[in-house]
Amino acid sequence: MTISRRVFVKSGGLALFSFGLDPLFLARAAFAVRPSARPPDRRILVCLFQRGAVDGLNMIVPHGDPIYYQERPRIAVPEQDVLDLDGYFGLHPRLAALKPLWDAKTLAAIHAIGSPDATRSHFDAQDYMESGTPGVKATPDGWLNRYCQHDREHQDTPFRAVAFGPQLPRILAGTAPSLAIDDLRAFGMRAPRPAARDRLTRAFEELYAGSATGLLSTSSREAFEAVQMLKRLDPGQYRPANGADYPRGRLGKALLEIAQLIKADVGLQVAFADVTGWDTHVNQGATEGQLAGRLGELGQALAAFTRDLGEWMRDVVVLTMSEFGRTVRENGSSGTDHGHATAMLVLGGPVNGGRVLGKWPGLNPAQRFEGRDVAVTTDFRDLFAELLARHLGARDLSAVFPGFSPDPARFPGALSA
Amino acid sequence: MKTRIVSSLLTVGLMPVAIGAQQPALTPQDSAFHALNRLAYGPRPGDVPRVAAGGVLRWIDRQLSPDGINDERLSQQERQFAILAYDRGDLAAMYTEVQRERRERKLAAAADTMADRSEANPIAQRGRRLAGEFADLAVVRAALSERQLYEVMVDFWTNHFNVYLAKGADRFLTPDYIEHTIRPRAMGKFEDLLIATAKSPAMLFYLDNWQSVAPGASPPFPLSARRGQGVRPTPKGINENYARELLELHTVGVDGGYTQQDVIDVARIFTGWSIERPQEGGDFEFHDWAHDRGEKQVLGVRFDGGHDMDEGIRLLKLLASHPATMRHLSRQLCERFVNDDPPDGCVDDAVAAWKRSSGDIREVLRAIFHGPDFWAAENVRAKVKTPLEFVVSAARAVAAEPDTSPRLAQVVARLGEPLFLHVAPDGYPERETAWVNSGALLDRMNAAVALAAGKLQGVTVALDSIVSAGDVDQMIGVVNERILGGTMSENTKQVLRRELAGISDPVQARALAVGLAIGGPEFQRQ
Repeated sequence: MTISRRVFVKSGGLALFSFGLDPLFLARAAFAVRPSARPPDRRILVCLFQRGAVDGLNMIVPHGDPIYYQERPRIAVPEQDVLDLDGYFGLHPRLAALKPLWDAKTLAAIHAIGSPDATRSHFDAQDYMESGTPGVKATPDGWLNRYCQHDREHQDTPFRAVAFGPQLPRILAGTAPSLAIDDLRAFGMRAPRPAARDRLTRAFEELYAGSATGLLSTSSREAFEAVQMLKRLDPGQYRPANGADYPRGRLGKALLEIAQLIKADVGLQVAFADVTGWDTHVNQGATEGQLAGRLGELGQALAAFTRDLGEWMRDVVVLTMSEFGRTVRENGSSGTDHGHATAMLVLGGPVNGGRVLGKWPGLNPAQRFEGRDVAVTTDFRDLFAELLARHLGARDLSAVFPGFSPDPARFPGALSA
Repeated sequence: MKTRIVSSLLTVGLMPVAIGAQQPALTPQDSAFHALNRLAYGPRPGDVPRVAAGGVLRWIDRQLSPDGINDERLSQQERQFAILAYDRGDLAAMYTEVQRERRERKLAAAADTMADRSEANPIAQRGRRLAGEFADLAVVRAALSERQLYEVMVDFWTNHFNVYLAKGADRFLTPDYIEHTIRPRAMGKFEDLLIATAKSPAMLFYLDNWQSVAPGASPPFPLSARRGQGVRPTPKGINENYARELLELHTVGVDGGYTQQDVIDVARIFTGWSIERPQEGGDFEFHDWAHDRGEKQVLGVRFDGGHDMDEGIRLLKLLASHPATMRHLSRQLCERFVNDDPPDGCVDDAVAAWKRSSGDIREVLRAIFHGPDFWAAENVRAKVKTPLEFVVSAARAVAAEPDTSPRLAQVVARLGEPLFLHVAPDGYPERETAWVNSGALLDRMNAAVALAAGKLQGVTVALDSIVSAGDVDQMIGVVNERILGGTMSENTKQVLRRELAGISDPVQARALAVGLAIGGPEFQRQ
């Protein structure tokens, strides 16, 4: 029962948080001073895909640039509402929940990041960001799965790579075992009564243990191990720690379940979830409005996740990604159209935070991509490669990103050395 | 070559199938079960003895000529599917209407919304229902058709020439593509199918060729500039996507000996192959203004400039009969029908038949089914079913009558294979590693139990036609015989005996026996 002892020890540690000490103060101390307690193969990467192309310019606002205000008379976030970060960039006000994490230097933003491929098709750009091979469509697997294939030292527990959603996303497609979990509580045999469920589970377990061969045998063994682990975990009884309040909706639920798996110590290394609703062609809004609503949910969910995990965040990095950014100039419907570069967030104990990273190309028409969009100055693979290498300890990056030579000199510097 | 042809013994139904001296003979029942698992989506109750009695090779020959097989029952069922009544223009209009409506709703909505409010909108609902219906139609055809091999080949080509339903105009171009490009040519000449896919609006849109133009070319009239979904207002040059996949996936294969320069020249040859008004569901259209008139060279063959569309047709014919294409396609067919890692002999036989018949798919298949490798013991039950194969074979095993509700297609999707929704052009994989993982296996078990208990909405199961509820040992015996083709292991029998013993209601016990058999390890193989 090593699991329950670990959980006990952790809860003992976490109990500190509930006795009036400011968890953020502790978190800062923990993140800033203490190096990660775990070897690379016990660290965790959580990826959130903002499907639909988030407007990086209204998420991490270049409020120091008058062109931003000239180009967006109806949808720019007013100077007085922006939460300033470094005098030039600021957070969208509805991301206020993340500001303390920025101040604790556990949150960084990378601006002007994107794909070397010029496509403005959601389909192609998402495909490239997930396959990790911009411009090459026939890549059969996703880069997160290739990482799992080539980094074998991490034990393949059933929960090593988990996508939260009904189907396995492209980014985790491939030969390395990975799970798609739509609802942690429903994982396993489904039956109305627990007794019937246990019987079915036992019957199938014995059927497969006795007669399955090859891959059917190993996979079924993993499956029933996972079911047993979850049974002990009892996901229905989970209560977030430190008063963490996850927002309602798919994202909050996914992050809550990820936090739960992390604390259960079941070998989770890579987690993935989708966040939809970023394709703001019409009535995007500014301080309030459509995008503000989506950002508010994202900020609250990430803040709740960090609060819930507490000390566990030392070993966790959360990455947000999106297929491309949006036009610098607002369109005729008070929205923005498909653009090129966007901004991504990196959050967690190992993060070299409190900084906007990447080379800012500027918003002058001459500095833009094709005269209209924020130019890409950081290839998204450089950021992904940095997280894999420096956080998860990946060795064979060229196998993860074929046709690309990851070079530490180009890493944006998202993690503390 | 002669020695590799199975002796004519096979055509006599009741004789054991003897292939080569060392091979253990398959009984007529076993060979019928094997053929039904590979050429068909598994047996329905009664199929195995019926095929065995008539002679398995005779059944295979009939399957190779689908036009001669009466399929009235499926035709009746197909009439229930509204989507077949709409052409791509109708579907495009419907889609445009849904989009317009959605935009208006967004504009009208209060400024501060957390997410899309999906209010009930009849047009959008009809659009969604139709999309679901199309996936279910594929499942219903696979389950009910008497032309089983034909339906298997439709699935094979749907994946070989994959398009992605959710990419822009492919939402309304895909149904037409399956109905009028793939299905009529699934058992014909490869060359005809290849040319038809090259000209299909669905493929031209999916792999972007419709906007591939010679550098510097501009249309004689302003092209309508539209915003959104991959539609660029002014195409600026060649797009290599189709050219690359044509070589790598559709024809010669990744080891087919082509270079990046070949890819570029193939793309130049196909400049101008486009779509007339894609957003309205328009047809193929050749734009001579967009065509690159220079000389090209592909795989060492020169293509003089100035031959417009004929250059592409000539190239497709050349690729269709290229030795590397024969080998690539023959191997894929052997992977599908014989083994994930097929023996060279099987591929050789298929290539020889391809040459003899100039790429007649039926002759290539015939060579595979008559070759010794197809019947070899090490290849029997050597493959794991794909999600589609699992769900359809389960439905057939319990004599299920699916209606037009998308329930079965949803199960296929849940198991990892949402139909027409594979994003990459390589189509759904054939290898077991892609399908066997812990979560998917649990889902298979759950689906099996739900199906057997009659809990899948829109799917009527008739367990009475398989086994009458009653004595446990007798039930297990019949389930083994009729659902597992006699492959049930001793262990499975024991587990079933123990589990059934505790259930007093014989109807419940029967449902559990069938559910465990279908969800168990034996049924995952084919």
